[in-house]
Amino acid sequence: MSDDGGLGLLLLGPAGATGLYWMLYRYYRNTDKSHAFERETKVEAKPVTGAEQDRKVDEVKGTQSKRIEDDNVHDYRDRVERIRGDSS
Amino acid sequence: MSNTTPPPVPPTGPGSPRDVPPLPRTFPVDPASLPEPIRDELQAPDPVAIDTASEELKDGANRCPKCGSTEIKQRPGTDLLVCLFCRNEWHGQRVEEEFGFGEGIDQLKGTVIASGARDIQADAASLMSFKCGGCGAEVTVNTETAMTARCHWCRHVFGVNEQVANGAVPDAVLPFHIKKDDAVARIRQFVDKRRLFALKAFKEQFTPENVVAVYLPYMIVDGNASADVAGHGEIKTREYTRGSDDNKKTYYDADVYQVQRHVDFTVDDLPLESSRERGNLNTRVNTNNIINTILPFDTKNAVKWNASYLNGITSEKRDLDVEELRPQLEDQLLSIARAQVEDSVNRYDRGVRWERERLDVHGTRWVSMYLPVWLYSYHQPGGNGGMLHYIAVNGRTGETMGSVPVQQWKLLAAAITVGTFLEGIALWIVGNSS
Repeated sequence: MSDDGGLGLLLLGPAGATGLYWMLYRYYRNTDKSHAFERETKVEAKPVTGAEQDRKVDEVKGTQSKRIEDDNVHDYRDRVERIRGDSS
Repeated sequence: MSNTTPPPVPPTGPGSPRDVPPLPRTFPVDPASLPEPIRDELQAPDPVAIDTASEELKDGANRCPKCGSTEIKQRPGTDLLVCLFCRNEWHGQRVEEEFGFGEGIDQLKGTVIASGARDIQADAASLMSFKCGGCGAEVTVNTETAMTARCHWCRHVFGVNEQVANGAVPDAVLPFHIKKDDAVARIRQFVDKRRLFALKAFKEQFTPENVVAVYLPYMIVDGNASADVAGHGEIKTREYTRGSDDNKKTYYDADVYQVQRHVDFTVDDLPLESSRERGNLNTRVNTNNIINTILPFDTKNAVKWNASYLNGITSEKRDLDVEELRPQLEDQLLSIARAQVEDSVNRYDRGVRWERERLDVHGTRWVSMYLPVWLYSYHQPGGNGGMLHYIAVNGRTGETMGSVPVQQWKLLAAAITVGTFLEGIALWIVGNSS
């Protein structure tokens, strides 16, 4: 067993305790719940456009992270820099 | 891409309502792996809620309250509706047809505001707003049936002398469908699923029969908008491991793409809290997110405002105007746009980092509405005035959500016990392998 693996395994107790605490806390208090308007509102959208303009700009070699840095594709409510146009 | 502004204040921490809420009945860990008492609570059935996205909303059927028939016509010359099957007559005209809401959303231009302050009709004159002397909340009272009232937030009793200037009468009201017995049963079922670690005082004082019916003010918004988002996405090209047996590490190669998407969309009946206090969803100081969660309502079935619907039911006055709610609407429209474009970037299997977004709102239509909520509250004493915990039942669909105060030492003890057990297993594995 390597040091890394052993250390990781020893964290199992504290991590499990913290995880269970937060899971039950949220189950009772429901602080993470809100109106899921993204999926519960009637939205009619025209087909999404812009895919044809996607272009390769760079390559990443030998990274250890499984996802792109600051991945927010599922975090719809995570606001990013807002570009203001003339009409809004 | 003319001028740019910094992003708004970031969301308040993980697990806050600024996060996209999890799907119903999903847990971070498999309940089967947990001790039996906890598992039983987690897996107990939830109170049944009618899916507003289905029947009631789709067909928009307005049924006769007596026999359930949909053979209903307006009685000529009156506002009465008559059931052609059982001859039952009643009041109420759906604003959906009356004002043409729900039609031509894709043609909306500019800001259309329904006259939330229509000419005061005979029944509205008897309606008065009061400021509660106990907590400062504003409560609407139909003075024809009562000159005193009990505040639905703090249960303070007050009288006519504390009257404040009357506010807006809404365009429409959605009458209660869920009866009190039903609401009580749902609240009981909800709390029965959460007893093991609940605060002892809460369990002792739990009397769901004290639930109150309340009409809360909302703005129902239709919108026609376009959104542009831009950022970077990555596609994995290679995955490989390096290092010896004991120290293997996985590495990835990826292509980086510049990504941008455009979507035109319309939203129908998006509800926004139009009470300043109720719109504050800070879970550190209140549990308003509970009331927010039981949205949406079948607002298609709302009827033209009539104070007689409020007989014996308290209500809260609207205190936010369209312009004050616009930032919140734009925020939600951007979130909806981001959800809409998600499927179009599936090929980026390492995810997408959106960096810029732009929203063009072409047109919006605003209707103010009272929506029916059954509300049970429990005040937990503590610092800063404690915490008011709500359990709310949607007065139309029966969707139930609540905040049950926890007994901290019990929860901590359970977590530490499970943690110690896991640590024991870990130590055993480490000890045996070295």
